[in-house]
Amino acid sequence: MEVKENKTWSIVGLIGIILTIGILVYDVSILSQVDALEKSGGNILFNYRGIILVSGIVLIILGAMKMPSHKHNSIVNTVFLLPVLMTFFITVLLPFGIGIFYSFTDWNGLKFEEFVGLANYLDIFGDAKFRYSFFITFIFTLLNVVIVNAVAFALALMVTSNLRGANFYKAAYFVPNLIGGIVLGYVWQFVFNRVIPQLLGGEVASMLTNPNLALAAIIIVSTWQYGGYIMMLYVTGLQSVPKSVLEASSIDGATYPQTLRFITMPMIANSFTVCLFLTIVNSFKQFDLNFAITNGGPIRIVDKAAMYSTEFLALNIYKTAITENNYSAAQAKAVIFFIIIASVSLLQVSINKRKEIEA
Amino acid sequence: MSKLMPKLFLLLTMTSSIFVGCGGGEEVAEVPAKNSSPINSDGNTIRLYNGKIEIDAALKAYAQLYTEQTGVNVIIESIGGGADVNGTLKGYLAADNMPDMFVFDGSGYETWKDQFADLSDQAWVTDTDVAYVTPDGKVVGFPYAIEGYGLTYNKDLLDKAGIDPATLTSYNAYADAFAKLNGMKEELGIDAVVSMAASVAGGMTWSTGNHNFGTYLATGLDPYDTSIIDGIHNGVTPDRARLDQYAKFVKLLFDYSDEYVLISGSYDDQLALWIDQKAVFIHQGNWIDPNLINEGLTFEVGIAPSAFLEKETDGILAGAPSWWGVYKDSDHLQETKDFLNSLALTEEGETALVLDAGMISPFKSTTVLPTAPLAKNVQEWVVAGKTYPWHWSSMPDGFGMNTIGPLYELLATDAIDATLFADMVESAVAENAQK
Repeated sequence: MEVKENKTWSIVGLIGIILTIGILVYDVSILSQVDALEKSGGNILFNYRGIILVSGIVLIILGAMKMPSHKHNSIVNTVFLLPVLMTFFITVLLPFGIGIFYSFTDWNGLKFEEFVGLANYLDIFGDAKFRYSFFITFIFTLLNVVIVNAVAFALALMVTSNLRGANFYKAAYFVPNLIGGIVLGYVWQFVFNRVIPQLLGGEVASMLTNPNLALAAIIIVSTWQYGGYIMMLYVTGLQSVPKSVLEASSIDGATYPQTLRFITMPMIANSFTVCLFLTIVNSFKQFDLNFAITNGGPIRIVDKAAMYSTEFLALNIYKTAITENNYSAAQAKAVIFFIIIASVSLLQVSINKRKEIEA
Repeated sequence: MSKLMPKLFLLLTMTSSIFVGCGGGEEVAEVPAKNSSPINSDGNTIRLYNGKIEIDAALKAYAQLYTEQTGVNVIIESIGGGADVNGTLKGYLAADNMPDMFVFDGSGYETWKDQFADLSDQAWVTDTDVAYVTPDGKVVGFPYAIEGYGLTYNKDLLDKAGIDPATLTSYNAYADAFAKLNGMKEELGIDAVVSMAASVAGGMTWSTGNHNFGTYLATGLDPYDTSIIDGIHNGVTPDRARLDQYAKFVKLLFDYSDEYVLISGSYDDQLALWIDQKAVFIHQGNWIDPNLINEGLTFEVGIAPSAFLEKETDGILAGAPSWWGVYKDSDHLQETKDFLNSLALTEEGETALVLDAGMISPFKSTTVLPTAPLAKNVQEWVVAGKTYPWHWSSMPDGFGMNTIGPLYELLATDAIDATLFADMVESAVAENAQK
């Protein structure tokens, strides 16, 4: 009796699996004919494919739950987690997968007509503007990470010393981070275009008209905006350094630089890991300041071609999709963008983790 | 069920209003579900997705009037202010929430070509020259306005300098006039002769890469001569001498432009300089009328042709900036077509477009004439038949703003000269066609 029932439930589960996979395969196979099928009123399979898919999933769940196995508990757990897992799947994994899928097609934001294989990827690497954008993003990230962290660490040391009004400074440095990047960008654009030239006598051209100075301008604003936030993370780290260790070192006659170099910094190695990770990712993904302050300009001539001297990857992707209406190429760029950010940040974290262990 | 629906609807409206609030630069005008007349019980409601936020109020007022007359409820949904018009519309199509009428421009046709209803048999078609006609001869776009641009001048200052704007029809006429005005800077109290902005950071490539480049595509040519714009699509520059002459003219404009506005100014900076009478010319069109009226215009204005050729070219660029297409799968195809007909051919409709929205009617039979200063002037050019078409709006997506626009900045900052500018335009055209 028992055994027979088990078999029934296994079969139910199996039917569920077959239905689900079958419908998914069918869905992919008719992708290009959806419009036509909708117009003609479709057929039974087409019109009820949603219902079949859902019943397939229900059957799988039923089959899995009723099947006695020593993994019964974890199956039940999974079933109870399903609402959350489905949400995660639908809002994160599925769009990500669809995004990768579209990068191999000629998708225009509405529909796609054919698979183009790697053509999008080959095109974007042949695109000098994208290569330049790539290059300038790396330069920006390098400079920005160093400067933001140096400034933030210095500020953190300052506000954790016995400075009068340290709490006020802490709050004050953090405030710029609360202002939206676009607003901040336009305000600073005004500062660079109008205020600074006025202060310097009125005959000086704005920083934003020179490619190198414009990059410096973005780094200045980025540091101003993000330094306070990173400072807070360093402050937390610095406050967790035990007083006893510091006292011991001072009794041993260590100078301030020595304490900083050999005691404090190794003790807060994990703060460095987090801060470097955040600044690297943030710099790579820089969009709002870039968009509002320079919008990619000024123009620089490279190999007799006009290049947007400060157009970082995120802005380049945005313009490819929105201004040039080339969604599939933008999607391919976004996939590359993701791979780069993921690998650079993973590399950084693994290197820093090793340092933490050494310390 | 019947109790649930209103609640659901309320919930949806509330959530969507949250999203609108978060939408950054977008300005989605509120859908007038509650402030205009109630939605009819038979569901006779049509929806217009308008890309010009400036005319939102005028359209809504007309929609209300139309509802009172016909019982068809019209929802006007306006988006603008640099928002992503096409992106939002793509979302609507994907969500099966397509409006019955939607705005599109010349380069947007490719994207939407499968969605248009054929409007060739409509009554207004024979009454206009600027409807959007597909390559195979179908009318799919309703023109709601004509806009015109050139070198807009301050007539008071020109009079003071003794220059007749009617003579500004060739390169040499401009060169002489600019030199003369430049010599009289102190007398006239101006900072520079021309107010023009060309920087990428100031977001002005639409003005240079689209509008100014548009004069190169059309000025002095037969309205049906599409050789230059076809060349853009095919990667060839058929008339290099013309391009050189054009580059020379742009250089002339830049040489007499206010330095700050030219290389770092925004649209606002450009307008402010001219409205404050610190420059004689501004490279903009009749869309700046609302700004002039708001600022209390105190001087006479007009538009002179952007005449870059050495021969006489007496005409400004005028055309439909964008069109309204009708969604082919709309449930209210007939009502939508009726609405467009009433807008085009009834006096109330013309009044709404011309007087309330401050635009220029694209329909020849119109009896309502614009009152805004520059619109009035553009209307005169149109009536006189002295216009060149807006070929630029059918350039490839982003080509004018992203590819050609930057070259103007280089010319403005003296990084390149006129010859190199022409070289770079030529190679940009060739490269673009290979994509």
